[in-house]
Amino acid sequence: MIPQLGGVPGFRDRLPHEADVLREAQESLLAEMRRWGYRHVITPMVESTAVLELGLSADHRRRLFKFTDASGEVVALVGERTVPVARLVAGKLRTAALPLRLCYAGPVLSTDEGRFQQRRESYQVGAELVGAPGVVADAEVIALAARCLEATGLRRYQVDVGHAEFFQGIMDAVKLPDEVKRRVRSALHARDFVALEALLASTSLRSAEHELLLRFPALRGGPEILDAAGGLVRNRRSDRALKELARVRELLVAHGLGAVVSLDLGAIRDFDYYTGIIFEGYGPDLGRPVAQGGRYDGLLARFGRPAPATGFVVQLDLVWEMLTHAARPPALPRVDAAVAWTGAGLETALRLGSTLRLFGMRAIVDTEPRGEAEAQAWWHAVGAANLIHCHSASTTSWTARGRRARRLPPEQVAARLAGSRA
Amino acid sequence: MRVAIAVPTGALLPGGLRMLARARLARLSAAELGRQLLVDRPSVRVILVRPADVPAYVDHGAADLGIVGKDVLWESPGSHYELVDLLFGGCKLVLAVPEESPLAGPETWPPSLRVATKYPHTTASWFEARGQSVEVVRLHGSVELAPLVGLVDGIVDLTATGRTLRENRLRIASVLGESTARLIANQASLKTRTDAVQAVVTRLRDAVDNSQARKAVAGGGRRRAG
Repeated sequence: MIPQLGGVPGFRDRLPHEADVLREAQESLLAEMRRWGYRHVITPMVESTAVLELGLSADHRRRLFKFTDASGEVVALVGERTVPVARLVAGKLRTAALPLRLCYAGPVLSTDEGRFQQRRESYQVGAELVGAPGVVADAEVIALAARCLEATGLRRYQVDVGHAEFFQGIMDAVKLPDEVKRRVRSALHARDFVALEALLASTSLRSAEHELLLRFPALRGGPEILDAAGGLVRNRRSDRALKELARVRELLVAHGLGAVVSLDLGAIRDFDYYTGIIFEGYGPDLGRPVAQGGRYDGLLARFGRPAPATGFVVQLDLVWEMLTHAARPPALPRVDAAVAWTGAGLETALRLGSTLRLFGMRAIVDTEPRGEAEAQAWWHAVGAANLIHCHSASTTSWTARGRRARRLPPEQVAARLAGSRA
Repeated sequence: MRVAIAVPTGALLPGGLRMLARARLARLSAAELGRQLLVDRPSVRVILVRPADVPAYVDHGAADLGIVGKDVLWESPGSHYELVDLLFGGCKLVLAVPEESPLAGPETWPPSLRVATKYPHTTASWFEARGQSVEVVRLHGSVELAPLVGLVDGIVDLTATGRTLRENRLRIASVLGESTARLIANQASLKTRTDAVQAVVTRLRDAVDNSQARKAVAGGGRRRAG
């Protein structure tokens, strides 16, 4: 039988260039998070479904890869890491003083291989600020998310800030039978405004909130949008949400992010644990948000340690997609030196390789002896910037790309290469 | 940058182009678009794609907006916003059975029903929601033939006038849903290019409202749901 060389459908191998860019993006994200005082945690790939049930909706649980372990307990491969981090904060970190600033990175899995996203494994980097209520914490996390996108090398991006309570307040106030409200929620969840319009038209009850619901996808802009919505809102829950949004916007201006922040009152989110300020980051020319997050004050209580919390994740695969489609895609990290050798030159080649790596260069030492012409061919196949051919303990020939070969002792080659990098 | 709008080939193309003309976005003939597949006008770029591909273009952001039949959206839900009922291209998704078949309403359905269709997801979930076990046979064309040769008990297919069904001696047993053309939007376009995209949406929405108002004045026209 021929083995399935393509791997399992929905799962991708990351080839050297993609893997390099992905890892570098992940490193720059984690480094930015560290600069803000977030500590790195690693949670396992596997969680008990009993834990995940506390945090995820039925729909999200359905999409988890599940299996039983030897003891018969049903466990799942994680589909996100906010819930595992909540478990950690309520469990092993229960004596740690709040607020806690934590960050994490790793793959998450989903059984769904949707038609438009044929990926069941994706990479996420996230940060959570647990134990800090209020708008200053909200603004910190949004600002961190924005700076994270910058840190990956994205030059053009924007962040949309909304509030989960704005919608909840409208649903409280809107005059509709419970059954219709349920269908309004599900229409909004499906982003089906045609169905929403029909639902609202079918009832004879009228309120200012009807108008707001219908205008949901257009309730987006600068601070002026808050006044426009404030004029239509008659309930305290939505009103409070608008006040918080106004304050968070001011704080983000102080963070130096006024130019990239917009307000979006019609934000619709897939996770139902959000309770306050929510936000999404968008890059240029990509149909989906690259970062998303928000406040989830109810989740920790379900694990027995009530605490307010807010956080976000960055979708690393989408960062990669945007970087590679940018006008100037990240350059492929290049091998600096290909070190070839003939019979007596092996020891010299090995020593030279060590020296170059000590200076931080990438060096490949050949695994078999080669003559002049063969070494040239091997050098081109490796794609290195320099070829160093070691003939004996004291003689080597050095060829930089586009230059003539020069005979030099090995120490001098190392010194020159190191000098040219510095 | 122009707002890109995907319009489908096939039955919805004439109505879609009429809509773009009425909204004063682009005046295009089907022949011209068919030749070029991609046409730029001052405010919009019009892309011609197969009906089932419209959601793919919009969800991936290759088009900001798309005109697409609701029947396509049933079959491939995605992350787009469904914004406006364009009120043309009306048709029904029906369960049709041979004229002499005893099948009618749900009370007459056997414990397991065999149904041929080009809409396997929609069909399976509709019957499942009604507690009916169903075996869906996915076909790609000439679905009407399947019950006549005994492959299945009935078919689930789109019908506008019912003529094809009658010609094949089939009758409608149930209506699964009613479809019209919809305007869908990419979720990021609405946010990153709000003004330009909303302006196009508003013009299309106004074009729908105006044509409904004209029909209402002329009398007998279908009223807008809302």
